[in-house]
Amino acid sequence: MTVRAVGGELASPPTGRLLPRRLLRLGRFWPFVPAAVLLVALFFLPLANMVVYSFWKTVLFRIVPEWTTANYVRFFANETYLRTFLKTIVMAAVVTAAGLAAAGPFAYFLVRYLSRRWQRVILIATIVPFWTSYLLRVYSWQIILGERGFLNQALMALGIIHEPSSIFVYNNLGVFLVLLYVYFPFAALAIYASLEKFDFDQLRAAQDLGARPDQAMRRILIPQIRPGLITAAVFVFIPILGEYLTPNLVGGTEGVLISNLIVNFFRAAQIPAGTAPALLIALFVTVLLVVFRKYLRIDDVVTRV
Amino acid sequence: MERSYSRRDILRMGVAGSAGLVVAACAGTSPTPSPSAQASASGAAPASGAASPSAGQPSASPGPLNFLTWSDHWSQPGLDRAKTQAGIVVNITELSDNSDGFVKLAQVHGQLDLVSADALWVPLYFDNGLVQAIDINSVDVASELYSMAKQFTFWTRPEGYLGYPWGWSPIQIAYNVAQVTPAPNDWQVLIDPKYKKRVVMENQPTDIMLMSARATGAKDAYNMTDAELATAKDWLTKLKPNVLKLVSQNSETVAALADGSAWLGTGNLGMPDRVKDAKGPQVDAYVPKEGSIGFIDSEMTVKGGQNQSRVIPYLNIAARADLVAQNFIDNGRPLFNEKAYQVLVNNGHKDRADRYLYNQPEQALNMTLKGPGGRVQDYIDTFNSVFGG
Repeated sequence: MTVRAVGGELASPPTGRLLPRRLLRLGRFWPFVPAAVLLVALFFLPLANMVVYSFWKTVLFRIVPEWTTANYVRFFANETYLRTFLKTIVMAAVVTAAGLAAAGPFAYFLVRYLSRRWQRVILIATIVPFWTSYLLRVYSWQIILGERGFLNQALMALGIIHEPSSIFVYNNLGVFLVLLYVYFPFAALAIYASLEKFDFDQLRAAQDLGARPDQAMRRILIPQIRPGLITAAVFVFIPILGEYLTPNLVGGTEGVLISNLIVNFFRAAQIPAGTAPALLIALFVTVLLVVFRKYLRIDDVVTRV
Repeated sequence: MERSYSRRDILRMGVAGSAGLVVAACAGTSPTPSPSAQASASGAAPASGAASPSAGQPSASPGPLNFLTWSDHWSQPGLDRAKTQAGIVVNITELSDNSDGFVKLAQVHGQLDLVSADALWVPLYFDNGLVQAIDINSVDVASELYSMAKQFTFWTRPEGYLGYPWGWSPIQIAYNVAQVTPAPNDWQVLIDPKYKKRVVMENQPTDIMLMSARATGAKDAYNMTDAELATAKDWLTKLKPNVLKLVSQNSETVAALADGSAWLGTGNLGMPDRVKDAKGPQVDAYVPKEGSIGFIDSEMTVKGGQNQSRVIPYLNIAARADLVAQNFIDNGRPLFNEKAYQVLVNNGHKDRADRYLYNQPEQALNMTLKGPGGRVQDYIDTFNSVFGG
């Protein structure tokens, strides 16, 4: 604040007016208050509660405030949990890679070869299934992939198989297929938003200057849509780390992911024992986001999706 | 004349609107305690400590009855009748298993009024101050029960009876007669390599651990020693390749047996008829010779439930013989309402009722009853280490 000189002397700051100004400045933040209250009440406090629970014990199905690290030790001491967590990461990575591989050409085709009108039609068709519940969509895949499902009937009608096969569901393949289906639109929309802003004349210019098509793609296109690719990867990879429903419904006993094991603790009222691995996954996700933070600027997320 | 709004005006209106919505939502979700709940909270409960039965009388309480239960403990006709006859609106919340119910009730207390639980879980609820005893003999509809159902020692306390008895069943193995030969009579059929991916079980890790305890001859199914736990784990490891899927509801087991994708399944009494009703193949069922686990379940009055005065009037309507008889037809396992057995006999269902032991309630005491175990985390770890990725 500038203090003006009055009569050649420095005037003492008018304290009576300073306070309201400060308050006024603070007052600028009041529109943020409802969101802050919601964040604190519905996110930070429950999260803090979970952190505390993860260091407590369960005695006779009641949470007892006695401090222990046993819940974390259990996760690292039992090979199953680490193996299943690793398997979850691999599943998330494979689905993400497949999702990007499928969504990239799809979005490229839309932007490059279709009119605006048809782009809109196809994009809406891509997201229409999201107007129904997640549970229903996964259940329908149970029916499609099952022994008496559409896929088996079609393969039998084509003479490719002679009796119903159980290889499509209740295993890792079933989980992979359904996760790919569920998360494909997230990847497609993120990449489409990136490609839509890309000036394709640059590709032509690169080729005019002697670049092969693959070089032009690699050196001109991909670097410019990289934020979209990263956004797509993050939006597919991270939610899969916490996937419970899909492996539960179509994974059988082979397609189990880490969340399915954690839920068993909660269902048996062993909340602290379940909370610790859940927080470890959250920590892992946070580390990933920190690693990718330079690629995932907030305006990328807001403007591209 | 159009009025223009500044950005500040719009922000202010947005905040005021959202604050108003939050206040309205909070007001809408905090029901006013009924007179009965206030009486209960202030300690003005009946002198015996048991819930007061206002048999068949509509409660003065304005709120709905909040009921945490399994899907086979209620029916739409029962809810409709409670509404028309006594003005009782019932909110059902589905329960997955006993520990789930215990944790939920411990967290929400008076937001629920009536809760279902199995056998030895019931005393745990009571000992933790979550439910209160009732004077079972003063409940109108209890006169329709088998007398033995009103005398279970594990539900009897000086304060009264801990719950209203509902149904019971051992866990059986149901099998497709055409596919599973010779006819099995034990748990070991589930680990026979012939039946790879042909077994369906409910996804209840603790129950599956108890089954493995029975299958491997553990002395105390709830407190297996480390050696017994290791044997049970070996058995589960052999079981895993045979399990097609772990389902969340028994109806999914019935569906899998009916469509032929599964040949063996575990579940309550009554599965053969339910599979037949679903147009499935011929299925038979048995209690494994090594013994089985089972449940006797009850409806418990929540201590401090805001609308608990509606519990007994509701039971007096929804637990009547005709509705219970229909419940047996729909769900297959026997219930403790003796008068309903007469209804079944009179309606030509004697054969079905007798096949599922409806007229032999004393058999309920021959099972290892479901209850809270002592080594739950070790059981979950063992289950997870077999069924993990």
